[in-house]
Amino acid sequence: MPLINLPAFAPDLLADFERLGTLRVDTPVIQPAEPFLDMAGEDLRRRIFMTESETGRSLCLRPEFTIPVCLRHIETATGTPQRYSYLGEIFRQRREGANEFYQAGIEDLGETDVAGADARAIGDAIAILSARLPGKKLDVTLGDQSVFEAVVAACGLPAGWQKRLIHAFGNSTQIDALLTRLSSPQPVTGLSAEIEALLVSGDDATLIAHLDETMEATGYSTNASRSPKEIAARLKEKRALEKTALDGRTLAVLREFLSLNMPLADAPAALFQFAEKSGLTLDGALSRFDARVAALGNAGVDAKRLTYRAAFGRPLDYYTGLVFEIVIEGSSAVLAGGGRFDRLMTLLGAKERIPAVGFALWLDRIEQALAQPQGEAAQ
Amino acid sequence: MTITIALPSKGRMKDDASAIFEKAGLKIVAVGNERSYRGRVEGLDDVEIAFLSASEISREIGSGSIDFGVTGEDLIREGLSEADARVEFCARLGFGHADVVVAVPEIWLDVDTMADLGDVAADFRARHGRRLAIATKYWRLTQQFFSAQHGIQLYRIVESLGATEGAPASGSADIIVDITSTGSTLKANHLKILSDGIMLRSQACLVRARKAEHAGDPLVAKIIAAVQGAVA
Repeated sequence: MPLINLPAFAPDLLADFERLGTLRVDTPVIQPAEPFLDMAGEDLRRRIFMTESETGRSLCLRPEFTIPVCLRHIETATGTPQRYSYLGEIFRQRREGANEFYQAGIEDLGETDVAGADARAIGDAIAILSARLPGKKLDVTLGDQSVFEAVVAACGLPAGWQKRLIHAFGNSTQIDALLTRLSSPQPVTGLSAEIEALLVSGDDATLIAHLDETMEATGYSTNASRSPKEIAARLKEKRALEKTALDGRTLAVLREFLSLNMPLADAPAALFQFAEKSGLTLDGALSRFDARVAALGNAGVDAKRLTYRAAFGRPLDYYTGLVFEIVIEGSSAVLAGGGRFDRLMTLLGAKERIPAVGFALWLDRIEQALAQPQGEAAQ
Repeated sequence: MTITIALPSKGRMKDDASAIFEKAGLKIVAVGNERSYRGRVEGLDDVEIAFLSASEISREIGSGSIDFGVTGEDLIREGLSEADARVEFCARLGFGHADVVVAVPEIWLDVDTMADLGDVAADFRARHGRRLAIATKYWRLTQQFFSAQHGIQLYRIVESLGATEGAPASGSADIIVDITSTGSTLKANHLKILSDGIMLRSQACLVRARKAEHAGDPLVAKIIAAVQGAVA
């Protein structure tokens, strides 16, 4: 059923948002497409509705609220911290179901108490859903990319590998393929004798000069794209690592970490044990993790009801720490999804780093859940 | 029921397609003069031939307004979402060979594979303040190959409708996805194909729009069998 009217519970949601002290904002339905494609990647293009202005500017129907709300914050130069709420229609091309539906949510920008803001986002999302769906049991899953980052750093992996692993985090197929690939040496082949000699000599300046000359001679600009210096640096890194492979022990440690899955209340102790057993120093990440669990307790959220899954993440480069999603027990439809995106504001053009955490509620799925008789979703 | 077959309207593709059909015992004659855009098959009154451009053939077969078409697999897969559900590739015709490939500047000595490219793309924004730019006219194929097959999300497509291979040198893109048959144009522009960068090995195909009314139609079966016989 297409949602042409607001869901019946929308006024209650708005009342919740007001009670939570958020500032409600609206953003235009028609948005510049560039920031969405730039942040989420080219794959988004076929999932949004795009059009062009008369002057050739790419526009799209608002596919989500986080980016417009953040852009609005930057444009209006509002001070932080600031908590925004929104409720409105978003538009996405979907194989099944309606292409336009309502979404609501909260974006918390600039709160420097990271653990407290994380806990508040999770607590608010649970409280709002519980109020809308009395009697339904909610499953909350939580992940944290920064713990994974600390694990790969503590394993002493080469910087290039760390970046690749972090980049693939959250996509189990990609990370499996990457771990397999790193487990066997990757020889560098196909280089000319001249380049080989330059690499062996370790004379970086001459290697860079040689690349520079070749680019000039073949009509390539040395500053429009990758520079000779960048190419030389990565080539050297590849050469340095070509005989290295991920050792069996480290591979086992990474796989063990990625398989961790337990009630959040047990996670601090389990992560501590994992670190101790593996001989890894994760102190900073673990204390931040523990602080969040404690803050959840202070916010009245029972950590025994939440699940921590170490491999859970979103493979987008602006997510930095916490991610979470909420479903009704036994169902796979995500009713609320959120996370911390500390890199987004600067990527969108904010002059200073603004920490940010937020969540979105899928109102059409909440309506569907409401329409189901009590207990049915659990089957 | 009349069956419409669309064939390329000009050039080598037109001649090669006509030759295959003639070999299959389906001799094509133009209706009216030699430059007419309509034709028929000698001895088969229920078959109409429409001469269309190769990209139009892909579009018309997608909408089901024609029954069969001869066109490049690249155009079908680029032009139609879920191509295999909508059309049947009945026969590969052995001409019009071209590969859709990912090519990067030769001077990128550190980039040989899609995994290397994924590394470069992940870092690109931090280093250059913008995403890695890919010049191509193959939006759909590029998205499928980069996103679905290789998990590379962080890039931007710069539409290029001609002389794509010149884009990296001119600075309008960093790398390209383009079609190549001999690789000589890529070489002339100092580009190299990644070792796992062949996205599609394309050639001219006889394709059929999947229509319910084709089931059990002897004419449809006869055309498929005849063309398959000619290329076997």
